[in-house]
Amino acid sequence: MRAVDRPPGRVRALRSGARLYGRCLGAHLRASLEYEVDFWLMIFAAVLYQFVPLVFIGAVFARVPDLDGWTMPEVVLITSLAVLAEGVGSLLYEGTWQLPWTVNQGELDYLLVRPYPVVLQIASSRIGLNGAGNLLTGTIMFAWGLGNCDLDLTPFGALTLLVLVTSGVLVKFAIVVTATSASFWLVGANVNLAVSLHNVGDLARYPLTVYHGGLRLVLTVLLPFGFVSFYPVAAVVRPGTYWWATVVTPLVAGLCVLLTLRVVRAGLRRYESAGA
Amino acid sequence: MRAYRALGRNALRTVLTYRASFVLNQFSAFFQLLALFALWRVLLASGESFAGFTWPQMKAYLLIAFTCGVLMSTHGDFRMAWRIRDGMVAVDLTRPVDYQRARFAEALGAGAAECLVVLLVVGGAIALTGPAATPTPAGALLFTLSLLTVLPMKFCIMYLSALLCFWTQNFLGVGLARAAIVSLFSGALVPLVLLPHWLQTAAALLPFSGTTSTPALLYLGRVEGSGALGLLGVQLLWAVGLWWCGRAAWGAASRQLTVHGG
Repeated sequence: MRAVDRPPGRVRALRSGARLYGRCLGAHLRASLEYEVDFWLMIFAAVLYQFVPLVFIGAVFARVPDLDGWTMPEVVLITSLAVLAEGVGSLLYEGTWQLPWTVNQGELDYLLVRPYPVVLQIASSRIGLNGAGNLLTGTIMFAWGLGNCDLDLTPFGALTLLVLVTSGVLVKFAIVVTATSASFWLVGANVNLAVSLHNVGDLARYPLTVYHGGLRLVLTVLLPFGFVSFYPVAAVVRPGTYWWATVVTPLVAGLCVLLTLRVVRAGLRRYESAGA
Repeated sequence: MRAYRALGRNALRTVLTYRASFVLNQFSAFFQLLALFALWRVLLASGESFAGFTWPQMKAYLLIAFTCGVLMSTHGDFRMAWRIRDGMVAVDLTRPVDYQRARFAEALGAGAAECLVVLLVVGGAIALTGPAATPTPAGALLFTLSLLTVLPMKFCIMYLSALLCFWTQNFLGVGLARAAIVSLFSGALVPLVLLPHWLQTAAALLPFSGTTSTPALLYLGRVEGSGALGLLGVQLLWAVGLWWCGRAAWGAASRQLTVHGG
C-alpha cells in the first residue's frame, strides 16, 4: 500500500484499538460459551429480572391512566433505556468491576506493561452474558414503548433519538468507570461503593418528576443517571418542556467522559502497586 | 448449641468489622424503597386509595417489605456459593456441626446488625414522612409471629438456591433468577392483589408470599379471624417443609461435590 492511501495515524490507532477490544471480549465470550447451561441460565435470568419491574408498571397502569402525567408507553420507554444501557455495560465493559480488586492486589502491574490503554484492558477483561438478555428485553420494551407512545418520528427525530440514547450509554459508562476508579484512593478491594452508586441509577427508571427536588438534582447533576434514561425520553416525547435536554444530554455525555478520563489518569499516577 | 451460638456471634462480629461494606450493601434495598415511596406517594396523593390501600397503609406495606428484604440477606447465598465454588466447603464438611444449622446460625447472627438498619430506616421514614398505619393488638401479635417465621423461610430459600451451585458453575444467573422470582411472587415489588389473576394464583401456590406478603397483610389486618390464622399456618407449614427440603437437597448435593487440587 502506498503511503498516501493509508488512513491518518490517529484513525489507524483507533481502528486497531477497537479490533483488539473485540478480540479480548471474543476470547472471554468463547470461554463463557464453554459452560452452555450457565450461558442459557444467565440469559434467562436477565430476561426474568427485567421482566419483573414491568409487572409493577403494568399493575399500576391497569388502574390509573398516567403516573404524574406520564403514560405507560413513556414510562416503559424510560425503563427500556436504563435496561439497554445496563445491557451494553454487561456485554461491553463488565471487566470494569474488576478494577478495585486488580488495584488492591497489585495486578495492575501486568496491564501497565502492555501496549494498550489500561482502561480498555480492564474493561474488556470480562463479558457478562446477562447483557445479551438485557439487550433483548430492552429492545422489545423500547420498540413497544416507541410504537405506543403516539409519536411521529421524522428521520431527523430518529437520528436525534439515536444520539440521545448513545449519550445515555456513555454517561452510564462514565459513572461506572469513575465509581470503580475510586479504588485508586480507597483502601481495600471493595467494589461495594461502586455497586451502591450504580444502584442509585435504578431510581432513574421512572420519571424523575415523581421525586423531591433534592433527589432530582442529585440524579441530574451529582450522579447524572437522569441522562441515561429519563431526559433522552423526555426530550423526545415532551419537546415543549424538555427541549433543552436534546442539547444538554450529548454535552453531559461528553463532559462525563472527559472527566472520567481525567480521574482515571490521576488514579493511574497515584497507583503504587502492592507490597506483597 | 454452644457451637452454633459461637458461629452466630462470629458472623455478627464479621459484619461489625466490615461495617462500611455492610452499610453499602443495604443501599440497593434502600434505593428501591426510596423509588417505591416516591411512586406510591404520587399515586396515592390527595387521599386516593388503590385496591383498598391508602397512603399510610401503603407506607406500612413498603416498610414491612423493606424489613423482610433486609433481614437474613447479609450472610446470604453468595457467600455460601463462593465457598462451594472454590472448594472451601470441603473444610466446612470436616467440622463437627450440622451444615444447614451452622449456616442458619450465621445468618441469624448477622441478622442482629440487620435489625439495626431496619430500625434506623423505618424510624427515619416515619420521622420524615409522617406516621404509617398501625395494627390492632391481634394484628400486631400475628405480625410478630409471622415476621419470626420469615427468618427460617428466607434462609431456606437462599440455602436451596445456593446449593444449586453444586451443579452449576456460575451462581450469578441462579442468584438473579431467584431475586426476580422472589421479588415478584413474595409481594415485595407490588402487593399481590394488584397482580393479574394468573400470577396471583401462581403466588398462592408458591412459598414466596410467606416472606413478605403474609406479614404485611397480617399487620394491616387485611385478613382477619380464621383467614389470618390460616395464612399464618400455611406460612409455618412452608417454613418447616422448606427446612426439610434443604436437608434432602444437602444430602444429594454433598455427594455431588468435586474439589480440584489442594
